[in-house]
Amino acid sequence: MSGTAVRDRKRPAVSRPGGAQARQRRRVLLIGGCSLVLLCVLVTLAVTTGQLRLPASVALRALIGLGDPADVLVVQDFRAPRMVAALFAGVGLGVAGSMLQRLFRNPLASPDVMGVTGGASFGAVVLLATGTSQTLIPVAALGGGLLAALLLGVFGWRSGVSVARLVLVGLAVQAGLAAAVNLMVVRFPAELANSALQWTTGSLYGRTWTEVWAAGGAIAVALGAAFVLHRKLAVLDLGDDSAGGLGLNTDAARLQLLVTAVTLASLAAALTGPVAFVALAVPHLVRFAAGPPTAGTLVLSGLGGAVLLLAADLVVQHLLPVKGLPVGVVTATLGAPWLLVLMIRQSRPVNRSAA
Amino acid sequence: MPNLKSPHVSRKEQVALSGPSLLPLTLLLAGAGALAVCVALSLAVGSRSIPLPTVLDALFDDGRGRDAIVVTGLRLPRTVIAVVVGAALGVAGAVAQGITRNPLASPTTLGINAGAGFAVVVAIYALHLTRPVEYVWFAFAGAAAAGLLAQALARRSGDIDPVRLALGGVVIQMVLLSWTQAVMLASSRTLDEARFWLAGSLSGRTLDVLWPVLPTLVIGLVLALAITPALNTLALGDDSAQALGVPVGRIRVAGGIAVVLLAGSAVAVAGPVAFIGLAAPHLVRLAVGSDHRLLVPGCLIAGPLLLLAADVLGRVVVRPSELEVGIVSAFLGAPLLAVLARKVAR
Repeated sequence: MSGTAVRDRKRPAVSRPGGAQARQRRRVLLIGGCSLVLLCVLVTLAVTTGQLRLPASVALRALIGLGDPADVLVVQDFRAPRMVAALFAGVGLGVAGSMLQRLFRNPLASPDVMGVTGGASFGAVVLLATGTSQTLIPVAALGGGLLAALLLGVFGWRSGVSVARLVLVGLAVQAGLAAAVNLMVVRFPAELANSALQWTTGSLYGRTWTEVWAAGGAIAVALGAAFVLHRKLAVLDLGDDSAGGLGLNTDAARLQLLVTAVTLASLAAALTGPVAFVALAVPHLVRFAAGPPTAGTLVLSGLGGAVLLLAADLVVQHLLPVKGLPVGVVTATLGAPWLLVLMIRQSRPVNRSAA
Repeated sequence: MPNLKSPHVSRKEQVALSGPSLLPLTLLLAGAGALAVCVALSLAVGSRSIPLPTVLDALFDDGRGRDAIVVTGLRLPRTVIAVVVGAALGVAGAVAQGITRNPLASPTTLGINAGAGFAVVVAIYALHLTRPVEYVWFAFAGAAAAGLLAQALARRSGDIDPVRLALGGVVIQMVLLSWTQAVMLASSRTLDEARFWLAGSLSGRTLDVLWPVLPTLVIGLVLALAITPALNTLALGDDSAQALGVPVGRIRVAGGIAVVLLAGSAVAVAGPVAFIGLAAPHLVRLAVGSDHRLLVPGCLIAGPLLLLAADVLGRVVVRPSELEVGIVSAFLGAPLLAVLARKVAR
């Protein structure tokens, strides 16, 4: 990528208007292609590796139900649900984070800040506390996330939605719910505290196809809504006054976007638990790499989230010496170096004009 | 700060600029009064209630007996520590939000709490420590290392980029948090020891915990108070501040160091109490406006007030046991913040 940047700078700045846009589009396509290839590699790795090592051709054929029934069983019932769950959740988190950061015009905005994470942990831990069967935990996590969204709406809505107020209310909701989780972790006996901790970091263990398809279908619908609403997001980027002048009802648009983003994040949290870092970091990675936000970068955020989450899950399953760590423990460790490198690269004075 | 943009607040500020308004000062005085009440409550209330005359007797007249020992031996140190820690966290939060110009910033988002938490958890895991008094130096070292690393990452040709400071801090925080959780999940003994400290608590702390961090606290506070006028100028944006003759880079470095010293000491004493540093500046800002010359002293009052109230409440609700102050302060502060946020002008 630095190669294209150098070439671009040498070229005299007489290119026709729209040249910068075309250049960005090309760059988005390039990065998108790379992430797609990377994603395919990761998917292949996810279905081939494990206790029973399968050749890639066999594993991929088993994925669509061809070949030896034993292989099909291993791939379709054990490896694929986990892989698909990581894909859906990663896409949902990446897109939700990207939308929230643009909506709030704040680089720190993410579902973690807006209370969704706290809500999902809260739901899961409450269910653990009541001692009901653990299969219901995803539903509880979804309910918790939506509870956070509801609280956000109740306190944040007052004849309109203002950014500053929503941020403050989001912080308050997150803090309150996180404190409730903390309280239960401290008061629980040690074994329960351990499984509560698992669910507050996010984990992909034991996902079944019913869960994956239910949450995945809902995520797909929400993603559709997100891309339909993208045009409004672009108008809101101009600032409230200009957006209003262009005939956009800013309050309604912001509420729709917020609900969509929070729903996406809650659904992702229902699949994997509150995985940290993906929603915060992936949009920044994409912005550093691909430039100002467009519909294309929104797609890239989704792809990036899926790549990061799947890669982290593979590391958790196969590379770590300690078995049984949740995936949320690895996402930050795996994602942080990329973000830090991009941040430092951007600090070089040469690149300042591009920033 | 977002409220600077809204016409509603700026009108209020014009009023404040045109003549010294008495309202903020009255509010500060009222806060100080409430703090005094909380101190008295903190001395008198607990698993064993002690009437106020006995408390005064024990404090000033060399009272004898079990009640006096409880007051001077247990509750007085605890109250002093709560006041100091609350003040440090409140001021650190105000300065952190000022230098990053981000209302979501706080000592937590600069990675300080996570650094302390990770250092302590590793110390518990590797060295088999069991008492909070032994954690102090590990916590301070971890907090300072994480905070300084976040600022080193944000340096950009001599200046600290506020967006990158906030972002780098959060990244470091998340990495350290995930490592902390990894250690705790790998060793259940560590989880059992550390979860109480990680919730943030004032119980079982004596003044011995406070003495080692007192110098850093004082230096941090002096530094923070020294840069408050400049923080007002910084709120106008880097370019305007530069044009007005404020050394933006140096102010930001000084502010960063102040935050690390204050919050690092606080976390070393009381564990990672997350919410005070975030909520205290917002509460004060909603009360007296965004002038840092009032905001920082206001946080000196609001931080201890919030922490002490939470501590007293935590001792009362589940008597004779008690709740950790970090948990109660979030329970107490969250609705307060949500309700006050409704008043933020459109």
